Amino acid sequence: MSTPILEAEDLQKSYGGRRAVDGLSFAVAPGEIFGLLGPNGAGKSTTLAMLSTLFPPDAGRIVIDGVDAVREPNRVRPGLGFVPQELALYPALGARDNLAFFGRIYGLHGRALEQRVDAVLDVVGLRDRAADPVRTFSGGMTRRLNLAAGLVHSPRILFLDEPTVGVDPQSRNFIFDHVRRLRDEGLAILYTSHYMEEVERLCDRVAIVDEGRLLALDTPQALIRGQGQGLLVVGLPPSALAPEARFADALHAAARATVREGLLYLEVRDLNEALLELLALCKERNVALTSLRVLEPSLESVFLKLTGKRLRD
Amino acid sequence: MMGRILALVRKDLQLFFRDPRGLMLVFLMPFMFIVIMRLAMRGAYGDDDAPIRVLAVVEDRGDRAASVLGDLEKLGGFAVETARDGRPLDRAAAAELVADGERPLAVIFPPGFSQALEAGPGESPAPAVVEVMIDPASPVQLVQPLVGTLQGMIERSMYLAMVPRGVDLVIDWVAPQTGSARRAELQTISRQATAGVSGDGGASPVRIERVAPPGMAVEKMPDSFQQNIPGYTVFGIFWIVSLIAHSIHDERRQGTFRRLLVAPLGRGTMLAGKLIPFFLVNLLQAAVMLGAAGAIFGVGLGHSPAGLLVVAVAAAAASSGLGVLVSAFARTEAQIGGLTTMLLLALSAVGGCFVPRVIMPDWLRTVGLASPHAWALDGFQDILVRGQGVVDVLPRAGALLAFAAVFFLVGVWRFRFE
Repeated sequence: MSTPILEAEDLQKSYGGRRAVDGLSFAVAPGEIFGLLGPNGAGKSTTLAMLSTLFPPDAGRIVIDGVDAVREPNRVRPGLGFVPQELALYPALGARDNLAFFGRIYGLHGRALEQRVDAVLDVVGLRDRAADPVRTFSGGMTRRLNLAAGLVHSPRILFLDEPTVGVDPQSRNFIFDHVRRLRDEGLAILYTSHYMEEVERLCDRVAIVDEGRLLALDTPQALIRGQGQGLLVVGLPPSALAPEARFADALHAAARATVREGLLYLEVRDLNEALLELLALCKERNVALTSLRVLEPSLESVFLKLTGKRLRD
Repeated sequence: MMGRILALVRKDLQLFFRDPRGLMLVFLMPFMFIVIMRLAMRGAYGDDDAPIRVLAVVEDRGDRAASVLGDLEKLGGFAVETARDGRPLDRAAAAELVADGERPLAVIFPPGFSQALEAGPGESPAPAVVEVMIDPASPVQLVQPLVGTLQGMIERSMYLAMVPRGVDLVIDWVAPQTGSARRAELQTISRQATAGVSGDGGASPVRIERVAPPGMAVEKMPDSFQQNIPGYTVFGIFWIVSLIAHSIHDERRQGTFRRLLVAPLGRGTMLAGKLIPFFLVNLLQAAVMLGAAGAIFGVGLGHSPAGLLVVAVAAAAASSGLGVLVSAFARTEAQIGGLTTMLLLALSAVGGCFVPRVIMPDWLRTVGLASPHAWALDGFQDILVRGQGVVDVLPRAGALLAFAAVFFLVGVWRFRFE
């Protein structure tokens, strides 16, 4: 990884005694799409809000482009682009008026402002609707304009907070293509989502978070590879899952076995061999399976393995 | 920083002028209020061009009733109608007009009215009862002065009829041999004296004039409608509070505040950029309302445009401050709607926008001083109807700025951008 443009170190944030972010540390390099993956309430948006200087962490350090962003937020803000989860636009104004307003806020004016507004309108494919009030736009068009408003001042780091919520597939692909182009142009992009397919497709590296804690951090491919051939989620009677039954120890085809909430999670190296071994063991011990789920290796199965929860829980 | 504030101001002005509801609330609502009140009060109180129309049913067999009605019309402010569709008005027709609300009241002179007035000393005719037929819903403030005026006119007429007979009686007792020419001369003199006219035909030695207190230069006394124009203007100015609170709520809900908070803007710049456009709209609103009142209704705007500006600026500052305060405490659409309506109507009412504070009980007048509306209203009235100048309104403007400071400081203390 090249020299990071953003470094977060041991970030912590609590709300009324509940710890929303609990010791997160990671770094993002220019030209990288860094994903924060976790279910709703995992602390992704709070992390993004702290990194984008919306509010400071209770503890921890944020360094952006060599500047301490907690102590000097105003120095780093001109280089940050923020696309919030909400459609943070003025519905009564036209697309061009919205972009021109946000451009002016970042100090653009005159010809430079016009050129930037035209450029981002072209990028998000809304040039022909530039004068129309945003309230007349479809959900996908509004999402694209929301993205454009975060880019109009040419930031060096872009924060995207669930940018595809409520977006049709066509607009989603449009946003993905554009985010990749921005990455190729050298922008550092921090992307939060609870859609694992998105993160898997888009991100160069992924941090999996839950309850404010970092559970895993690697490239999607490396995280998935660690799953072997997949995950077996097996329902068994409580007697079979009891520690003294040592059921999992007898399954040699499983790389790792954990019991959580009445289910046995088996990370398998060879799926066929593991299934045959499982069924044979059940027959031998006269144990009836109550459920069986086979999960192909994916970030979803990684998350399930790490937390025992599905991402959309 | 200035460029960023201007960007915020420009954006909110664009939003304001594209929002028909906001335009209606700021410009149309107070102006409609003025027009409606104008029309309503025209019917009740009349104005320079439209006197109160009084129906008169004359059943009197003499000429005293006609004399009283003539005096009433000469007094000014009353138009007496004794006929309808070319026929003398009768009791039934008058009752129908009053019952239908077409006229506020009718006066009915009985057949023996003149006879009762002209009865000499020692005679005892049946008492004449003049009836005043009134819609029970008519305000007592309208009816009582009219009845009082009528009473005065009748008594005057009665004295004019009785005094010559009394003179005759005195002459018969003191000097019965006085000739008829001399008697007529004495009766004329006594009638003139009773009517309040001096012997040489000059004006009455006693007359009533309307004057203003020292320091108030009034060329023309305003009518009750004109006196209320500042009240409606102040009422309208403070409705900007609702627009400010809704605008701030929209920014919170849409997430645009969140987006601006991560931009290189201070929170003070954001708040200034939010309030300045509404402050400017307030000034425009005051100019449009007062200008329209002057152009359309001929309301005098006083002699001090600078004084008007000072009061308008101070009132706009107070309303902007109140907008911040309401935004700090009301977090939902329903709360904003409820709080602004309750607060603005209460402050307008105790501030004298609807009912002059001068007729309120003392304790309520004191309570009214806690309303910025009262100070703004007094400031505008100083210029518009009391003929005062910019220096005279400085204390009122100072009080309004103090309200603005308190509202703003408490509001900012409790304010949340998200």
